[in-house]
Amino acid sequence: MTSLTHEPERSARPAMLNRLDSPLTYQILTFALFAIGWQIYGTFFGGLLVPTFTETVAALVPTLVSAEFWEAFVVSNQALVLGFAAAVAIGVPTGIVLGRFRTLERLSNVYLNILLVTPMAAIIPLLVMSVGFGLLSRVILVTLFAVVMIIVNVRAGIRQVDPSLIQMARTFGAGEAQIWREILLPGALPSIMTGIRLGLGRAVTGMVIVELLMVSLALGGLILEYRGSFNGPALYAVIVAIIAEALVLISAAQWLERRIAPWAPSAGKARS
Amino acid sequence: MTAIAQSTTPRTSRSVPRFRLGGVGMSALSLTLGVLAWELVGRVFALPFFPPFTVVVGTLMEMIGRGDIVGNLAVSLSNLVAGFTISLVIGIVVGTAMGRYWRVRAALGVYVYALLTAPSLVFAPIFFSIFGAGQGSIIAVVVMYSTFVMIINTASAVQNVPAAMLEMGRSYGASEWQLVTRVIVPAALPTMLAGIRLGMGRAVLGMINGEMFIAVTGLGRLVTQAGKSFDGAAVLAVLIVIIVVALGAVGLVQMVDRALTGWVPDTSKEKS
Amino acid sequence: MIEINQLTKTFTSQDGTPVHALGGVDLTVNDNEFLTLLGPSGCGKTTMLKMIAGLQGWDGGTITIDGKAVTGPGPDRSMVFQNFALLPWATVMDNVCFGLRLRGTERRAREERAQELIEMVGLSGFESKRPGELSGGMQQRVGIARALAVDPQILLMDEPFGAVDEQTRRLLQEELLSIWERNRLTVVFVTHSMEEAVLLGDRVVLMSARPGQISEIVEVPLARPRSSDVGGLERSREYTEITAHLWDQLRSMHSEHRAVEAVR
Ligand SMILES: Nc1ncnc2c1ncn2[C@@H]1O[C@H](COP(=O)(O)OP(=O)(O)OP(=O)(O)O)[C@@H](O)[C@H]1O
Ligand SMILES: [Mg+2]
Repeated sequence: MTSLTHEPERSARPAMLNRLDSPLTYQILTFALFAIGWQIYGTFFGGLLVPTFTETVAALVPTLVSAEFWEAFVVSNQALVLGFAAAVAIGVPTGIVLGRFRTLERLSNVYLNILLVTPMAAIIPLLVMSVGFGLLSRVILVTLFAVVMIIVNVRAGIRQVDPSLIQMARTFGAGEAQIWREILLPGALPSIMTGIRLGLGRAVTGMVIVELLMVSLALGGLILEYRGSFNGPALYAVIVAIIAEALVLISAAQWLERRIAPWAPSAGKARS
Repeated sequence: MTAIAQSTTPRTSRSVPRFRLGGVGMSALSLTLGVLAWELVGRVFALPFFPPFTVVVGTLMEMIGRGDIVGNLAVSLSNLVAGFTISLVIGIVVGTAMGRYWRVRAALGVYVYALLTAPSLVFAPIFFSIFGAGQGSIIAVVVMYSTFVMIINTASAVQNVPAAMLEMGRSYGASEWQLVTRVIVPAALPTMLAGIRLGMGRAVLGMINGEMFIAVTGLGRLVTQAGKSFDGAAVLAVLIVIIVVALGAVGLVQMVDRALTGWVPDTSKEKS
Repeated sequence: MIEINQLTKTFTSQDGTPVHALGGVDLTVNDNEFLTLLGPSGCGKTTMLKMIAGLQGWDGGTITIDGKAVTGPGPDRSMVFQNFALLPWATVMDNVCFGLRLRGTERRAREERAQELIEMVGLSGFESKRPGELSGGMQQRVGIARALAVDPQILLMDEPFGAVDEQTRRLLQEELLSIWERNRLTVVFVTHSMEEAVLLGDRVVLMSARPGQISEIVEVPLARPRSSDVGGLERSREYTEITAHLWDQLRSMHSEHRAVEAVR
């Protein structure tokens, strides 16, 4: 469709313009406009807490080489790694069980639906009351953020497996264990990987939220600290760094998904 | 999946139709069991952060009586409605443009994906620094949470409108505007609405998280406050209100969805 | 020999009304016979085939194979599915190997056997492709190779060529004929097409719907081997007469059905 609408006009113009009329050009153009807009806003309306684009970029370098940043980074990611690992360890088996046993699935369905839309951040006060401000409560929150997404996707994956594949395996005399190993698990693998990727996104969100809303420490703590000391450029630099980490992690997960389940129809459907 | 539930060996006895609960009945049963378990655990263990259900309901009634809930609920809902409406407009306009014109897609695609992936709450400090500690910042957080899913779903819906349908429109001499409003948007509507539902779910998250971060008004602040005074029952009471709001908001979108897309055959409707 | 006696099955549909899928079917399939099952949609062809395969239970009657009652799937039968039922994550080679692997055949032996069949169905060179990279016709060739790889005595085929285009379908029919002529196993072949039923079958079993019953069994006197001159066969008088007769029967079933619907 796209090629049809722009191919004819293309040929009618000089070659130089054609080469410029490419996705990359527009991508860069957007970024440039955004940076210029930011620069103008920061310069004329910014005030104390809104740095300009150039100030932020300049602050990025010292921030990224400071020991303070990397210490905070390690502390944050501790909770992320532990919490996400727990979410996978809990979520995948739970999703499989729910996908397999119809009654359990029907009983749990209403709770999963509630958990999917419930802002998990609202249970932060309860977490603080029960386990305090330590690493454990951060880990628990990260796990809670990620686990529902994983369960829901794994369950869907198991349930989506084409029933005729199971019948086919039966005609060759497959028993229950073989059906699991040969059909259900490989069949659900793409969805399991999708669940893990989306769960990772949620885990990063949980990591940030817990530090911004519950314990002001690590990366979230830095944000609040810089905000308090009106250090706009450093504040923005930390935010950029967190976003960058999220993007890197998710892209890695996406790459892994494509590597592990290359037969699946295009990974990376918008769902969250 | 019913195929696995069936027994392998052919039965010679006639299968008796068994009593089965519908989805609603099952949810009600499941919720009742959950509430009973909650009550029991609350009574037996007497944990300060997990009071029994009846105590929580009592607290909720008290809070409603004191007027704590209604005012904050109204503020939260106004944040939600304002933020969601802005997101909806941006989502449909930008999404349609991205789906229809490859240059727009090239210019915005990566950034929209990146913003969808990034943990949205890290932008809260930025909004705080621009809009100050007020409703404006919270609404901006809501917009940040909910816009990008809607853009991406709308774009992919528009892009996936069958070419034959566009050709049909053009063969009757439809102008670009007519094509978009009479053919493309209606054809893309079911997928768009799926995105709008996700957007609403995320808007509720943004509302609560934003209110917890910029703790000046709303249910989010109420939760934080209750947590600070170590009142477990009040936290859970507000959480119940939040869950009702979340389910209600998503339910509303679903109702609109059903009313608008009654023509879509059940089998081809996207399940989620 | 497959012997089916007074086979009945009633399903309960979603809204609770009973669906009489099979109403007392008697049928004998001889060894090394190519039997085709023809009938209007919903007359219970798939249901019966699945029962022979041991995938589906029934209410009354018996199915025996060489005197032994069918209680589940067995190594003597394998099935080819209309939607191919290939494992999308596995290569052509692994798909063809699948049945052998489930039965514990050792790797070297099963890959050798699979290679033979891959060559037989004309897919040499595609061993490491995945189903998503193949055309419909090629996918069903994989399905046939997989079913044959386990050396069944009985091949059950449920509209195996229903999902491929007309030209591919004709090629596959010819190939199936020539494969069958080389190693004559017992085949039960379900189809919607009168031409296909006559071209392939030794006998055509015509079924009627609601309840599913056998309404007629037609012998096909066409000489074998048929694969060498399909075009000639199709122009022969016998072929034309039988297909015309089958269509007459089917058409009256359809109009009867319409009359019943109208009375309701
Ligand atoms: N699991 C089931 N539950 C309820 N009804 C069923 C079930 N399976 C089959 N039926 C019904 O039994 C009847 C026979 O179905 P079957 O699939 O055997 O027909 P068929 O002859 O193979 O039709 P087609 O030519 O369309 O494939 C149909 O009316 C069908 O709706
Ligand atoms: Mg059928």
